Amino acid sequence: MKEYIKKHLFEFSTFVFTGVLFVFYPAKTLAAVEEGTILLLRMLPMFLCVVFFSSFLALFLSPKTIQKYLGKESGFWGIVIAAVLGTVIVGPLWILFPLFETLLKKGARISIVGAMVGAFAIKTPWIPYAISFLGVKFILISVVLILGYAVIEGLLMEKILLKVNYQPK
Amino acid sequence: MGKSLLLMLAAYGVLVAASYFYAFRKDTGKAKKSIAKGWKQFLNQLPLLIAVFLLVGIFDKFVPKSIVVNLIGKGKGFMSVLRASILGSIIMGPVSSAYPFGAVLLDKGATIAATAVFLDAWVMVGVITLPFEISVFGKKFALLRNILAFVGTIIIGMITGLLLVGSAF
Repeated sequence: MKEYIKKHLFEFSTFVFTGVLFVFYPAKTLAAVEEGTILLLRMLPMFLCVVFFSSFLALFLSPKTIQKYLGKESGFWGIVIAAVLGTVIVGPLWILFPLFETLLKKGARISIVGAMVGAFAIKTPWIPYAISFLGVKFILISVVLILGYAVIEGLLMEKILLKVNYQPK
Repeated sequence: MGKSLLLMLAAYGVLVAASYFYAFRKDTGKAKKSIAKGWKQFLNQLPLLIAVFLLVGIFDKFVPKSIVVNLIGKGKGFMSVLRASILGSIIMGPVSSAYPFGAVLLDKGATIAATAVFLDAWVMVGVITLPFEISVFGKKFALLRNILAFVGTIIIGMITGLLLVGSAF
């Protein structure tokens, strides 16, 4: 139990905080809980789809397949493919760091890995959900700009890192 | 919930169903493992999601408009996007909570540009995960990527504001 609380300290603090708020502002807190619950229920179906699709990709899309297309000889289009691929993969950014590291060590271009990390900021499965809150225009413009910037970012990183003699660890 | 969201939710449902149809035909054992993995991930993340959505509700009901307007509202100039980028870089949380939070910010008087910068920084820059990123890629790569991403969020967000409402702040 102690271990569990330690692991979920943030969650427990939030619940305690909400409890304290309720004592002082019952009506407002109830409204806040209601809003949070509605928002949560609204995202749950998509969340279920996302976790099951992620676990499917994790087990059935091997890093080898990805590596095949992103070697040293891949030119501009390799970077574009990398950027697009980065958007298809889902999950928090840091989960994929080890994969990118392997790619670098195996000789993928820095620009490619840089573009993938950048494009990873687009969470494709969440796009419809995001649109439902912020509108089509807002989200589509963001997606296009993030993707474009990911390519620029990748190229810039390669230029700069090669100048400073960067070696993958 | 919008009709388009339901439609796309259905589309994702079909995508997930199709991928598992393929998975079970290809390798039943692996497919079962993938379902178990997805379910475990769902249960693992549920407490955090409940807490975070609770906080979004609390933020909406308790934080007065004036605070949001003062920090990232209209007429605050370049500082508003800079603040938004710093806030978004530090915050770390499930992306599914970022979009409703963004909608709450807009509702409370944040500018389009600042909201876009904030959301972009949420997904593109990782201050808290920086030590881990450094341990994987090395200092040069990780620092350069985050600096470029930070600058990028400001550029991208301001362009988003310009395109949507003709205002970069």
